[in-house]
Amino acid sequence: MTSEVVAEIEDQVKKLREAGQVPIGLEDELDECFEEVAEVSLAGSSAAPDATTPEAGRPIACLGPANLAQLRKQATLMARRRFGPSLRRLERRASIGVGRIGEAASLQMHVAADHLERLAASSPLVSRVLSSARPDDSSPAGQVHPLIEGPLLTWVLDNLSAVVTQHVHEVPPVVLHAECGDGRILEALVARGFDGRGADPRWPARSGGATSIVAAGAFEYLGAAAPETLDAIVLTGVVDRLRPGSARALARLAARGLVPGGIVVLVSARPEAAVAMDPVAADLAHGRSLHPVTWCHLFARCGLSELAVFEPDVSEPDIFAVCARRPVSALLAGDDRR
Amino acid sequence: MTTRPVRIDQVIPSIVERDAVSHHTLEAQRVLHSMGFVSEIFACNMGPGLVGRVHKLEDLPREPPEHQWVCYQASIGSPAADVFASHPGLKLLNYHNISPSELVERWMPHLGEELRLGRRQLAELAPAVALGFADSEFNRAELEEVGYRCTMVAPLMIDTANFYCPPDPRVVERLAARRLLGGHDWLFVGQLLPHKAHHDVIKALACSRRLFDPDARLHLVGRESCRPYADALHRYVSKLGLGDAVEFVGSVPPGELSAYYTSADVLVCCSDHEGFCVPLLEAMHHRLPVVAYGVTAVPETVLDAGIVLPSKSPVLVAAAVERVLTDGELRYSLVSAGLRRARSFTVSSARNAFAGAIEQVLQPA
Repeated sequence: MTSEVVAEIEDQVKKLREAGQVPIGLEDELDECFEEVAEVSLAGSSAAPDATTPEAGRPIACLGPANLAQLRKQATLMARRRFGPSLRRLERRASIGVGRIGEAASLQMHVAADHLERLAASSPLVSRVLSSARPDDSSPAGQVHPLIEGPLLTWVLDNLSAVVTQHVHEVPPVVLHAECGDGRILEALVARGFDGRGADPRWPARSGGATSIVAAGAFEYLGAAAPETLDAIVLTGVVDRLRPGSARALARLAARGLVPGGIVVLVSARPEAAVAMDPVAADLAHGRSLHPVTWCHLFARCGLSELAVFEPDVSEPDIFAVCARRPVSALLAGDDRR
Repeated sequence: MTTRPVRIDQVIPSIVERDAVSHHTLEAQRVLHSMGFVSEIFACNMGPGLVGRVHKLEDLPREPPEHQWVCYQASIGSPAADVFASHPGLKLLNYHNISPSELVERWMPHLGEELRLGRRQLAELAPAVALGFADSEFNRAELEEVGYRCTMVAPLMIDTANFYCPPDPRVVERLAARRLLGGHDWLFVGQLLPHKAHHDVIKALACSRRLFDPDARLHLVGRESCRPYADALHRYVSKLGLGDAVEFVGSVPPGELSAYYTSADVLVCCSDHEGFCVPLLEAMHHRLPVVAYGVTAVPETVLDAGIVLPSKSPVLVAAAVERVLTDGELRYSLVSAGLRRARSFTVSSARNAFAGAIEQVLQPA
């Protein structure tokens, strides 16, 4: 019976349209209007709709050509009513196409850089970075994070340097590197204008110049740090041996510690790399590394944005880096639950 | 025959209060207990009210299939799926559907990523899962499509607190006062998420006020879960001059929700994707006629107990609502069919179906 009723309703709508009772372009105008507000909201405009402006609260039927700009707008609307659906489809496809070309080019660049890096690197390096990630191994001095070099190191440092560029205060921005090992990367960051803080439970505490390193784990340090006190955070080591469920906590702690506009970068071994290297050790390890996409969604759920991944060829075991920024607007910060 | 295990544990990415999948998981635990199994729930995240009742995922025991089975409640991408995948026990998967990422990624890129991950994990788990059961035929077909060999439908165990909770008299009184001014009350219940397409309901309301019912009002009940989308909806309402006609209610306790159901004239659903859609049944229980866009699992949930439209053109939705509100005979037949439909989803029958799914694995044909 309901299908008959639906047919009757469709028939009624058809008659209403034929009788001119449904204003021509009413639905298109509603669509356009939503697209406009959607664009504003997605752009993150903080300007709330102002009830005192003529735009707010104005019914759509009142749109009229009061000046040249409005005339142009109305002409656009008329054209869109006529060609709207096809134009919008084309527009969407074009924008997706451009985005994909950009994405593919960027990926190709990373892949090419990775292959160059591979040619230069000898195979024991992979073994060393993986073994340095295991909690029971003690890494010899000067050999921590052996693969954070070349294009990856440049990518990490460049991303973090954005913080220095945008920093407006007189004191240098503070960067925390957890777990920093011998502090080599931290020194590179200090050279780029950061006030460097390091934490590593397996290395003795020390300080000198603009660098101070404490013997603490990432959870320990970030858990004790006051909220919004770090301009940048680098996470290595700890991210390769996370117990299930603890990754979210780490992402949350990092997001909490960052100032608005602050950046977190993590460098980790791909899970496949550990398995390929030694499946038994990988299976029996106390923790494991995560995929870059998982870090992206964990960071995003903690309110971080502008996610970027440095990911070499996915078919081969390797390491990757993820970068995320805490938005300056507090809109996205806070609740990580749907 | 498969060996009867000592325990059947459940793994869920996130479990919180007042959530359909979470409630289903807690009900499933009761069923498993009643069948004589040891059964605990393990989650990555849990709501504060569930601490003590739910365990951390890292505490999940890892025993062989003859001792332990694990059941994964799948509705989103999560590292919990990896833990489930690597578990040595026999695996069951309860699928509640994962919205296509295209519907949300424009608004919530991170959620889009999570949904994409969820779909990928769902497909990857297929070869390892002994039985995939879904809460609708639509969901079951999706499981089959991605490679699940053994599937069946076991209905959602719905939280009937919203069905039988008495309406909050203060809300009823407030809504009744507004009704004295004329016009009908439209209702939609669902989190403010892009794929729920609240904006299409607002478009239909705008058309209705223009063509049929100048004083019609819309109440949108549900948590603002996507800030940019909620912001766009507020701006949209303001721009269309519907500020007095559209109420953003937010998340409400069962008594207030019940008041909205009992005070409204029609439930309008324009969602682009629903794996089941509990509010449709809640509306039917409260004798509220339903007008819905017939996509994904919506036609299966509504059947003949509502107006299921082939498109959601705002004028068509507005005309359908007008027909339901003005045709007394149609309204009566929809309400009667709705009550029958809502009553067919009893908790006991859903529990039996879930137990049946477990028995099916114990005694394969």
